[in-house]
Amino acid sequence: MSLLIGAMTIGLILSLLALGVFISFRIFEFPDITADGSSTLGAAVAAALIVKGTNPLLASTAGFAAGFVAGSLTGILATKFKINGLLAGILVMTALYSVNLHIMGRSNVPLLSSTTLSTYAQNLGTKLRGSAEPINILGWDVTVLDASTLVLIFLAILLVGLLLFWFFQTNIGTAMRATGDNAQMIRALGVSDESMIILGLAVSNGLIGLSGALLAQYQGFADVQMGIGMVVWGLASVIIGEALVGARTLGLTIAGAVMGSVLFRLLVAIALRMGLNPNDLKLITAGFVFVALIVPGFLSKLKSRRAGLSHA
Amino acid sequence: MLDIKQIRKTFNPGTPNEVRALQGVDLALMDESFVVIIGTNGSGKTTLLNAAAGTFIVDSGSIHLEGHDITHWPEHRRAKLIGRVFQNPFSGTAAHMSIAENLALAARRGMGRGVGWALNRKLTDSFRDRVRQLNMGLEDRLDNAIGSLSGGQRQALTLIMATWLKPHLLLLDEHTAALDPKSADQVIALTDEIVKREKLTTLMVTHSMHQAVNLGDRLIMMNRGQIIQDFQGAEKRRLRVDDLLTRFDEVRRAEQLDETAAQMLERLYV
Repeated sequence: MSLLIGAMTIGLILSLLALGVFISFRIFEFPDITADGSSTLGAAVAAALIVKGTNPLLASTAGFAAGFVAGSLTGILATKFKINGLLAGILVMTALYSVNLHIMGRSNVPLLSSTTLSTYAQNLGTKLRGSAEPINILGWDVTVLDASTLVLIFLAILLVGLLLFWFFQTNIGTAMRATGDNAQMIRALGVSDESMIILGLAVSNGLIGLSGALLAQYQGFADVQMGIGMVVWGLASVIIGEALVGARTLGLTIAGAVMGSVLFRLLVAIALRMGLNPNDLKLITAGFVFVALIVPGFLSKLKSRRAGLSHA
Repeated sequence: MLDIKQIRKTFNPGTPNEVRALQGVDLALMDESFVVIIGTNGSGKTTLLNAAAGTFIVDSGSIHLEGHDITHWPEHRRAKLIGRVFQNPFSGTAAHMSIAENLALAARRGMGRGVGWALNRKLTDSFRDRVRQLNMGLEDRLDNAIGSLSGGQRQALTLIMATWLKPHLLLLDEHTAALDPKSADQVIALTDEIVKREKLTTLMVTHSMHQAVNLGDRLIMMNRGQIIQDFQGAEKRRLRVDDLLTRFDEVRRAEQLDETAAQMLERLYV
């Protein structure tokens, strides 16, 4: 049970990553791999501040802000300097590796003895429950820490999801969506597509940085390697979400990305429990995304071939 | 008014693909005039339109619109003054967004965009009223993605979007060339109606001689990056398709003569 709850909590934390990837890959169709660096950046900034005794809420916000800056840098490289989008992301991601080491001062910062959002969750949970006794759910004992963390993270993700849902229906949010859809058109309507891309990537990487900050606090450490493969992970979540609920409306896509992230994490947890070698995890994730990317084209080809045969 | 002075543009300069697209074009448009541009392929008519729209910055010369020197303004800044419809029906609308959302984007052309809701009841009602006048049955489909519409419907909507806020200059770039004849006629009728009702200053590029003689109050013929003929007033009104064909023939013959002469000279001297 604690395995399941842990997987769901991490899935929810990583759904911020999935939402960030959704913004860059789906709204802007911009293959932004800054995420691998900005996720660690958020964790590093938050961890370094928390160790110094900063309020964890403030430290998490700083994680968001750091990711925001990293994303806008990628956006500036890609638009103002006309660098290929993929390369712009690689440049920023590579540079961030050094930056992250500088921020943390070493390759790993433990947070177990510091006051983090997890500490807040435990305190709040204990206060609400009146004792620190484990909670009995369907015959399973669940610690107060696990239960309250899950509930708080869920509420936080709900809030972020609603905020995004609202944002993409505002004047500036619709202009952003139109930029990804048809940049020529949005320029002709008086919007700088370059500014939209910079702002969009900033918000995307801000969410990813926040996800890193929360993950570091949940797992109790920040590590300079923790961001590796995050883009593919996020993309896998978005693709699973689209398979679950489709991509017809904005609200469905946002909810889908969150659900996809949680489901993916659950599947991974179960696979690991059943004896999957953790070293193979990234290989399998990449393989999964590859298959998910080619299957739609393959299916439609098959369909059109069949239609062609029936006409003949 | 629009005032274009001696603009020049060369694409890929210094390479084998060098194209001298505009070679010193002067054009002054009075307010409320409707000017049609015709010319052969590669004559520079679309390039002239794009120079005004800011798709690229001209190599030399100046462009003034409504008293602003817009020569070096980026495309999105000029959009505050200019409405545009493109040749490709896919270019003017965002396919994955709804009709209402596309119109809402156009309703703020050149204005700041903050975090207010893009759509509200009042705005949607006004969109519905306007779209109903098209008689295309789109008023009940405001929430549908624009990508599900036909090319003619998309061009009609793009025209409405370009003129929702009255532009100081309307640029139409062969906006019926990609449509079937019936849709093209519909869009042209709509164009004529909107331009006349709103008294818009309009610059329209077309391939159709028929449109060229029937629309507008001034006709400009371009060839090799220059304006070679300018019909205005009574002369434009008297113009028939045959006159244009004759004029095109003359141009072609003159060019052939040039080429034959060049070949002759080459034989003699090279």
